[in-house]
Amino acid sequence: MTNPWVAFLLVPLVKIVVILLAVILLAAYMSFFERKILAYMQIRIGPNRVGPRGWLQPIADAIKLLVKEDIVPARAEKLVYFLGPVLVVAPALVVFSVIPFGPAFKLFGYEVAPYLTDVNIGILFILGVSSIGVYGVILGGWASNNKFSMMGGLRSAAQLVSYEVPMGLSVVTVLLMANSLSLVKIVEAQKQAGVWFFIPGIVAFFIYFVCGVAETNRNPFDLPEAESELVAGFHTEYSGMKFAFYFLAEYANMVVISSIATVLFLGGWLPPFPNWLAALWASPALAWIPPIAWFVLKMAVFLFVYIWFRGTFPRYRFDQLMDLGWKVFIPVSLVNLVAVGAGVLLIGGK
Amino acid sequence: MSNLESIKPFPDSEEMEISFGPQHPATHGVLRVLLRLDGERIVDAKPVIGYLHRGTEKIFERETYNGTIPHTDRLDYTAAATNNQALVGAVEKIMGVTVPPRAAAIRVMLAELQRIASHTIWLGTHALDIGAQSPFFYTFEEREKILDLFEEYCGARLTLNSMRVGGQPYELTDGWVDRCRAFVDQFPARVAEWERLLTANRIWKLRTIGVGVISAASAIEWGLTGPPLRGSGVKWDVRKVFPYDRYDEYDFEIPVGANGDTYDRYLVRMEEMRQSVRILQQCLAKLPDGPVMAKVPKVIKPPKGEVYFSVEGPKGELGFYVVSDGGANPYRLHVRPACFINLQALPEMVRGLLVADLIAVIGTLDIVLGEIDR
Amino acid sequence: MSFWGLLASIVPFELGQGLGVTGRFLFKKKATIQYPEVKPVPKDRFRGMFGFSEERCIACHACAKACPIDIIHIQDHFEEVEVDGKKRKKKVLDRYDIDVKRCMFCGLCEEACPTKPLAIWLTTKSYEASAYERNERLYFTKERLQSWDGVRPYPGVVPPRQGQMPDDPTGGPAAGRGEPK
Repeated sequence: MTNPWVAFLLVPLVKIVVILLAVILLAAYMSFFERKILAYMQIRIGPNRVGPRGWLQPIADAIKLLVKEDIVPARAEKLVYFLGPVLVVAPALVVFSVIPFGPAFKLFGYEVAPYLTDVNIGILFILGVSSIGVYGVILGGWASNNKFSMMGGLRSAAQLVSYEVPMGLSVVTVLLMANSLSLVKIVEAQKQAGVWFFIPGIVAFFIYFVCGVAETNRNPFDLPEAESELVAGFHTEYSGMKFAFYFLAEYANMVVISSIATVLFLGGWLPPFPNWLAALWASPALAWIPPIAWFVLKMAVFLFVYIWFRGTFPRYRFDQLMDLGWKVFIPVSLVNLVAVGAGVLLIGGK
Repeated sequence: MSNLESIKPFPDSEEMEISFGPQHPATHGVLRVLLRLDGERIVDAKPVIGYLHRGTEKIFERETYNGTIPHTDRLDYTAAATNNQALVGAVEKIMGVTVPPRAAAIRVMLAELQRIASHTIWLGTHALDIGAQSPFFYTFEEREKILDLFEEYCGARLTLNSMRVGGQPYELTDGWVDRCRAFVDQFPARVAEWERLLTANRIWKLRTIGVGVISAASAIEWGLTGPPLRGSGVKWDVRKVFPYDRYDEYDFEIPVGANGDTYDRYLVRMEEMRQSVRILQQCLAKLPDGPVMAKVPKVIKPPKGEVYFSVEGPKGELGFYVVSDGGANPYRLHVRPACFINLQALPEMVRGLLVADLIAVIGTLDIVLGEIDR
Repeated sequence: MSFWGLLASIVPFELGQGLGVTGRFLFKKKATIQYPEVKPVPKDRFRGMFGFSEERCIACHACAKACPIDIIHIQDHFEEVEVDGKKRKKKVLDRYDIDVKRCMFCGLCEEACPTKPLAIWLTTKSYEASAYERNERLYFTKERLQSWDGVRPYPGVVPPRQGQMPDDPTGGPAAGRGEPK
C-alpha cells in the first residue's frame, strides 16, 4: 500500500461507497424486517406479495416515495425546511466512519481494515456527531410553519436531549474499563479481558440500550410520533422523499445504536469467550467464520430487540418519559459509574 | 400522577380550543370532542355527536316487530346479540310471553359469547390507543372463533338477527355445543396471556392508574351503567337485580373495582370475561331440551300499553321502551343507550388531565357511536 | 420494602414476561388466509347472495311484506290456464326485483317464504357480487337472480338456474331432494 493515491484516496472511497450502500440498504430493509417480524408476533404474515415472499417491498416503497408529489407548505421557511431531513440523515451516516466491523486482515497480501478509520477519540466523535441530529428535528418542526409540528419537534428534541445524559454516562463506564476512547482499542480491550463488557457493566448495558431506544423515538418512547396523539409530530408537513429521509434516519439511528452497543458491550467482532475458547474458535470446523459475521449477528440481535419492544409495550406519556429519564436513569447511571469506577480501581489497579 | 398539576408555566396564557375528531384514529367512530386546552391540560371537553345518526327510532315505527330486530343489530354493532335480546325481551314483556327454557338458555349463551366478543374489541382497541399494538391481534383472533360460532348458528357474524319475539328462529346445529365448549375451555388461558402482557406492566399501570377517576356517587348521579359504574365500586348488574332469561339459575359473580379509574375498569372487564366463561360452562352443562319457539301468532300484535325492559349489555344497561297501540307496528320504540349515557360523564372524567389521557378515557368508556347516535 | 420488592421496582421483570408472550407468538401458526387464492369457508347457514326459483314462487308477496326495508318489488298478473279440463287462474310473475345494494341480508324474506323447497333463499355461500357501478349492477331482476349474472359463486357452488337448491348450493346429488332448512 505504498502508492499514496491508492492508500489515501482509492481505498477510502471504496470503503465509503461500500459502507454507505450497506447502511442505506440495511436501513431500508429494516422497515421490511420490522413489518415482517411485527406481523409474525401478531399472528399474521407481513408483506408477502411484492417480489418473492415480499422481499422487494422496500424497493416498491422507495419508488412510491420518489414519485410522490413533494408538497411544501406555502409559508414554510424553504431553506431550513430542506435542511431538516438532511441534518437528521447526515449525522446518522457519518457516525459509521469510525465504527469497526472487524479486525484488520490480509487480502491478497495487503493489510485491509474493514472500517473507514480509527480515530483515537472515536466515542467522543460519535457522541458529538449524533447530537447534531437533534437540530434536524427542531428545525424540521419549526420550518413547517405549523404550531403542532413545532410543539412535536420541541417535545422530540427535549426527549432526545434528556436521554443523551444517561447514555453518555453508561458509555463512560465502558471507557473506565477499556481505558481508551478509540473503538478498535475498546474491542481489543475486551479481547484482553477475555470477557465482553456487558458482564461487568450489565447495568450500563441495559441503560445504554433503553436510552438508545428513547434516542431513536421508538416504542415505548414514541409518543411524539404516535398517531393517536393530537400533536402529530415534527414530520407532519413532510411528504415524499423528505419524509422518507426522516424514516431512513430513524432506522439508520437504530442501526447506529445497535452497532455502538455491539462494539462497546458485546465485544464487536469477537466470538464469545475469545480467550477461554480460543482453541474452539480456531478449530477447522469454526475457523471459517469471518469476524464481521459475529458483528452482524450481534447487531441483528439488537435490531430484533428493538422490534420486539415495539410489538409488546404500551407507550409512556410524555411527562412520564421525562420523569423516567431524569429521575430514574440519571441517578442509576451515576451510581453505576461510581460502582464500576471503584471496581476497576480495586481489580485492575490501573 | 405527575406533579404538573401545581405548575402553571404561563399564568397569563390563553386557552386553546381544538376540535378532536370526528375523523381521528383514536375516537372509536365518528366522535368529535371539543377540547379547551390550557397548554396541554384539558380545561373542558365537550363531546359532539350525531355524525352517525340514521333515524333508527323513526325507522322502528314503520317496521313490524320482527322487522325491527335487524335494525337493533346496528345499534351497538359490536354487541348485536344483546341488542336483539333487549328488544325481543321488551316485546315479550308487553305480550306476556315466556320463552321456553331451551330458548332462554340459547339466548344466554349467545349473550355471554357476545359479551366476550365485545370485550375483546374493547381490549384490543384500548391497548392499541395506549400504544401496545399486539394485544389487538390476539384478542381479535379469539373473537374470530366466537364469530364462527355465531355464523354457524344464525348465518351472520356481526349483524346477527338471531332472536325472534317468542323464542329462537333456529335450533342449534349439530356439534355447535361441542365447538362452543372447545372454545370456552381454551379461552381462560388466552385471557391469562393478555393479562401477562398488561396487568402488571408498569407502563400500563402508569398510563391507567389514577386516570379518568369518577366517584361512585358521581357515577350514580350521571346514570352510568356497566363497567364504568362497577369500576367505581357500585355492585349493580341488571342480570342480578332484574333477572331475565333465567339468569337467576346461573351462578356467577359481579366484579367490582375500588377506585373508579381506568385500571379498575380494565380489571372489571377482564374479570367479566372470565365470569361469562363460567356462565357459558353452566349453560352448556345443563342445556334443557324442548322447543325453541313459544306459541306466538304469525303477525305480532302486542296489546296496547307501554313497557320498559333492559338487559345488561357489554357496554352497560341497554333498555327499550315500547309503546304499543295494538297494531303490528310499534307506535314508539325508544332506546336507552348505555354508551350515550356513559359518554356524558366524559367531561368530568377528563378535566385536568393531559391530552394523552383523553384517549385512554375514551377507550375505557368503551363507546360505540352506533348506539350513541342511533 | 423487601430486597426483592426493591429489585423488582427497578428491574422490570414483568416487562420481560410481556416480551415472553409476544416472543412465543412468533412461533405459533399464523391466521392469515391468502385471499383470493384461498377463500374462507362459510358455514351452511351463512346468509349470502340470493337464490331464486321462479318455478316455485307463488307470488304470495310474503317476502316483500316481511322485508324490513322494502327492497323486494313484485308484480304479477292472473292468467287463465287449463288444468284437468277446468279453467283456472294462475298467478304469473311479471317482475321480481331485489335491490341488492340496499339489502342487509337479514334473512326475513327467506323465513317468510311458504313454499317447500324455498323459492327465495340466502344459504348460497356466495358473497362476491361487487360491481363498479351500483345502481344497475346491484339491482337484480328475476332473470339475473337466477342466472347470477355479476355474481361470482363460491367455489363449488352453481347459480340457481343450474340446479342450485336451498339446502345444497352445489346443485349436487342432494339437490332436487328439496328438503327445506
